[in-house]
Amino acid sequence: MGAWEFYITTLVVYFAIDVLSAFSLNLQFGFGGIINLSFIVFQAIGAYVAAAVTLGPDTGQNAFQTYIWGASLPFPLPLVLATVAGAALSLVVGLFGLRRMRKDYQAAVLLIVSLIAWEVAKSDVHLFNGSNGVTGIGRPLGTTLPLSSLGYQWVYVVWTLAICIAVYALVRWLSSSPWGRALRAMRDQEDATISLGINVTALRLQVFVIGGAIAGLSGGLLVEYIGAWSPGAWGYAETFVVFTAMFVGGIRNYKGVILGTLLVPIIFLELPRFLPPIGYPGLIDSVEWIVIGLMWMGSLYWRPQGLLPEKRNMVFPGEFGSVTGGGSKAGFSLASLLRKGQG
Amino acid sequence: MFTTLISAIAFGVVLASVIAIASMGFTIQFGLTNMLNLSYGGVMTASAFVAYLLVSHGVSAWYGLIVGGLAGSLMTLVLGRFVLRPYARRGAKLFEMMMVTLGLALVLDYGLQALSHDNIYQFTVLQSSPIHLGPIVITPTQVILAGLGLVVFVGLELLLRLTRIGKALRATAAEPTLARSCGIRTGRVVIVTWLLSGFLCGLAGVVYIINSQSVGYSTGELFLPLVIAAALLGGAGSPKGAVVSALLMGIVTQVVAAFGQPAYSTVAGFAVLVIVLLARPGVVAGSQGAEAQVTL
Repeated sequence: MGAWEFYITTLVVYFAIDVLSAFSLNLQFGFGGIINLSFIVFQAIGAYVAAAVTLGPDTGQNAFQTYIWGASLPFPLPLVLATVAGAALSLVVGLFGLRRMRKDYQAAVLLIVSLIAWEVAKSDVHLFNGSNGVTGIGRPLGTTLPLSSLGYQWVYVVWTLAICIAVYALVRWLSSSPWGRALRAMRDQEDATISLGINVTALRLQVFVIGGAIAGLSGGLLVEYIGAWSPGAWGYAETFVVFTAMFVGGIRNYKGVILGTLLVPIIFLELPRFLPPIGYPGLIDSVEWIVIGLMWMGSLYWRPQGLLPEKRNMVFPGEFGSVTGGGSKAGFSLASLLRKGQG
Repeated sequence: MFTTLISAIAFGVVLASVIAIASMGFTIQFGLTNMLNLSYGGVMTASAFVAYLLVSHGVSAWYGLIVGGLAGSLMTLVLGRFVLRPYARRGAKLFEMMMVTLGLALVLDYGLQALSHDNIYQFTVLQSSPIHLGPIVITPTQVILAGLGLVVFVGLELLLRLTRIGKALRATAAEPTLARSCGIRTGRVVIVTWLLSGFLCGLAGVVYIINSQSVGYSTGELFLPLVIAAALLGGAGSPKGAVVSALLMGIVTQVVAAFGQPAYSTVAGFAVLVIVLLARPGVVAGSQGAEAQVTL
């Protein structure tokens, strides 16, 4: 029973982290219309920074790994720094990558960023120990909490779920705020949005940086849980898992995104562990990626809007106040009834 | 110092030839269809593996070049006709088409990973003892590869400028609707473009592994950024532009590798793209590009 409990809790932690990734991409792509094919880079920088500031200074005595910015900061600080690092890197990438250009060019540039960043982290040993990556990252408060390893699992489950819910509240609030409506307007009708006096360049950079911060946070959470991080964990293709989850579940619809995350990275990528080994080791991994690619292409062909499509923004007469941001004082209106009717 | 620089430039020209062959194929396909085909790298790797298999069965590497090119042609045509066209028929826009090719790239890459058992294979053919040309130490094979790039460039330019099909191709790339109403069979032009760009893609794959002496499933995907960057810099549909930017990127990459950290050589090639993006945003912003349609 203990092994199962351990496995399930691990899955829940992964699920929460994958949902965070999907929220980040959904904000950037679903609402902002930015095809961020370098998403995984921002998760990776968060993970690397959280690792480096947990591991302690690189004294050279641990000759098996070298890294920069070594420090051993107390518990919440590595996560904060991971978030900041994700935001800072996306600001840098955004400043040249988000210039006004054709969408497919932009996506290609961001994909190139992902490939190049991977190449650099892999070949430069002095940054984060090259292709071997960093290992031995201690768990937050792992030594101070008087808990068994299973008890710690549950603490981490609660911790990641709490962060996940907080971020959910944040992105929900952001996407329904006036800022979020400007974002959707930019996605659908960029020229019209400019004519309304909205600075779309700044808007795009803002959503990119917020998404980058969430990605960095998810990377920090992940590395503090698994204790190691290397280029093998963040190939350019990892971004596509999150995209596939969004396409399958339904872009722009948070429930759809959560459903897609449950289906693709958790159920689809975890179930094959129970298959008997076939072929040479690694064959199942390759086949999984092939199927991810096929799912991606299939969902674009048959159901581009996803399983749970975006709800169109409808304005009901009684709700006008809340739509314009004023907040309806009338607690009971026809609109709220209609909404409940919709479920 | 000076000697290092000269030989770095010489190696840069060899690398540029590889980039240029791939980039010319990419750019004529891109110029015609208007879509960024990210599965190009996967086709490159697959053709390289075809050549590898031939050579390991005792066939000369020179035939490997031709067969690799033909394999690239065939794969590009099949993928274009039976995978990409149905999406275009359903009204997919440029950006959706790019996403589809990305999914296709994933399928190709990891299909090759499964078939190659995730190994990297040595491909040491056509290696000969280096010769000294002044300060440059270079192998005859590398000289031939650089020459091959030139031959492909001249051949492609002649094809596009002098032959009927070349003119039809340029007309279709510029104005597909007008070309069709002038009596050009644009459907055939698209087929020819798949075959031609596929041939260059396959050829580039084989040339790349002759130069780097090894082949693995991610060979093409890691090389693709340089190819796309050169094609974007040179302008869609312009082989001349592709060659010039390939030379620029090849030389910059090798000079950085010779004087700085090899890890940053690819980054330097990419930096060229970023600098041009910042200095001349018009290159990729393209006002007419915003309404460009997928031609398939």
